[in-house]
Amino acid sequence: MWLISLRDLQWRRRRFVIAVIATGLVFGMSLLMAGTEFTLYEDGRRIVRSFGADAWVVDEGTSGPFTTASPIPADAARSVAQAPGVEAADPVVISRSTIERETPQDVNIIGYLPGSFVAAPPSSGRGLQEPGEAIADVALGVDLGTTISVGGHDLQVVGLADQVTWYFGTPTLFVPLPDAQTITFRGQPLAMGVATLGVPESLPDGLRGLDNSQVVRDLERPLKSSTETIALLNLLLWIVATGIVGSMVYLSALERARDFAVFKATGATNRSLLAGLLLQTAVLTAASAVVAVVVAWLLVPRFPFAVQIPAGVYLRLAVIVTAVGVLASLAGLRQAVKVQPALAFGGQ
Amino acid sequence: MDDRLTPDHPHTTSAQPAPGAATSQVARPAGGPDLVISDLVIAYSSGGYEVRPIDGLDLRVESGQLVLLLGASGCGKTTLLSAMASILSPTAGSIHMGDVEITGLRGRELVDYRRHKVGVVFQSFNLVPSLTASENVQVPLRTAGVAGRQARSRAEELLRRVDLTDRLHHRPGDLSGGQAQRVAIARALAHDPQLVLADEPTAHLDYIQVDGVLRLLRQLAAPGRIVVVATHDERLLPLADRVVELTPRAPEASRPPQQLTLHPGEVLFSQGDPGDLVYVVNHGAVDIVRRRIDGSEEQLAQLGPGRYFGELAPLFGLRRSASARASTHSTVTGYSLVDFRALHTHPADSTSTHPA
Repeated sequence: MWLISLRDLQWRRRRFVIAVIATGLVFGMSLLMAGTEFTLYEDGRRIVRSFGADAWVVDEGTSGPFTTASPIPADAARSVAQAPGVEAADPVVISRSTIERETPQDVNIIGYLPGSFVAAPPSSGRGLQEPGEAIADVALGVDLGTTISVGGHDLQVVGLADQVTWYFGTPTLFVPLPDAQTITFRGQPLAMGVATLGVPESLPDGLRGLDNSQVVRDLERPLKSSTETIALLNLLLWIVATGIVGSMVYLSALERARDFAVFKATGATNRSLLAGLLLQTAVLTAASAVVAVVVAWLLVPRFPFAVQIPAGVYLRLAVIVTAVGVLASLAGLRQAVKVQPALAFGGQ
Repeated sequence: MDDRLTPDHPHTTSAQPAPGAATSQVARPAGGPDLVISDLVIAYSSGGYEVRPIDGLDLRVESGQLVLLLGASGCGKTTLLSAMASILSPTAGSIHMGDVEITGLRGRELVDYRRHKVGVVFQSFNLVPSLTASENVQVPLRTAGVAGRQARSRAEELLRRVDLTDRLHHRPGDLSGGQAQRVAIARALAHDPQLVLADEPTAHLDYIQVDGVLRLLRQLAAPGRIVVVATHDERLLPLADRVVELTPRAPEASRPPQQLTLHPGEVLFSQGDPGDLVYVVNHGAVDIVRRRIDGSEEQLAQLGPGRYFGELAPLFGLRRSASARASTHSTVTGYSLVDFRALHTHPADSTSTHPA
């Protein structure tokens, strides 16, 4: 029956190609959305990891340093450093601002003390040494030595960092703590929290400790509605894909009703007919998956931020494609089973 | 010889041995089973009414014979073929192919029968348009699990036998009607079946194409194989060893009118009966009723003196589509079609009637 099924696809190749392209585009969009969702989460995890902290200390009553609106005095880091279990503690400012350009550009600001353990080495240039310097995200498109104005505060780019975007690809600017305090708190000696090496066993009153996973969850919380939207859109896309594949297989089954009747009249079993239809679905969905990968590969560079599509997403696509194929072919399979061999005796 | 089986049954005719019968080129070994049909009834619902195209058919066909099922559209030819192919279960009766009761086959045995014991040449060829001639012939072979190379070889052999060696890789759309029909015949022969059924094999062919197909069908009927052809094409009559007329033929000749007296509730004729006479009500009233599939009856008309009924069945060679039953003490006169025509050209007060 496989030969018959493949010949039928060949016979209806125009419709097959259209269905493959349409389904491939839908699957490709689904891949990109899954990649976007992954990137949103992965960016957050990576930026938290980049601090190299074992724990975080924030104002009691706040959920994390990336989302808090209740800063603490920067010198709280000194008392935290005294807490048992802590090897080092440095204040950090995490905020958002804009770079003044023709069109203002949003940036994430991370402020820390030059020489602090939280200072990740730049991918090019050098680390921060004194106030008025900045390490810029390559996504900003600025060169080493360039002076940029952030919230009315001039900074010279001395280093470049890669893969440090978060919140939908918003680029990040690493600046000395005093500059971050100037941009964010009009120079007040405040910080969003304290990053520590070692985990504090106790903390001064009014402060609470968080581990990295809690900080990541806090960072991801504002993304929840976005990722839920993406998941919903993905579901809709899969339904569309199911509809396309399903209608192709169903129409094929409808048009082949007479053929099925002849096959049954000559001794073909329902099982063999179903296997043939499933094979058609498998070929259709597999070809669509290939188109999807190509579509995603072509479109990723056109996204405003670096969407990553990890192997797991492709694996998930394979599972979804299989499920879509089986679901989509149900109507066609039912149609094939319903065909009575007596139909073969009818005239045209 | 014209041997009428029962008054209600189709009649069969034994024809002279047909040309080509003795020179079969697609022969099977002798000693195949006979086809025996006993008291076969096939009924189904049509618009809620019961239709019995086959009602009490008895037929015995010996191995090597070619049988024609002759009749107009709707007389039950295809229905009977479907039952022989074990695609349709009869309402009653049995069909035996040798020791095997076809009508009792289920599951694996049924699949095996359809695959190996019977080959069907469908009306309109019913070739798969996406497959080449060779692949179409391979379908029943592959379905039965025959390996690819073996199936290809067998298909080529069969297509060579039907003189289509140069059309192996042509799709049905590229074949003439006659060529497509020969591919369909080759497909039916894929497993060298004991029974070959052909449904209206000449329906879509011109006279040149018909010639080749008829020769082929005639050659197939050889010892070890029975060929049953359903057709309305009387040109095929010389081909047959046996003719089964499924359409009742009304006597054309004039015969004396029959005056009948009916008691209340007495049935003059029943739905499904062959129709030979046209009746005129002289006195009383006659109900025309049609039987539904659930066994209930629907009264179509009540006819009084001067009304006539039952003209359609003898006129068009149909079975009675309704029953006629006396509503009161009545008298009717039955006329042959010829006499009724003569009577009707001088109508006094007769008026037309109803579907029976």
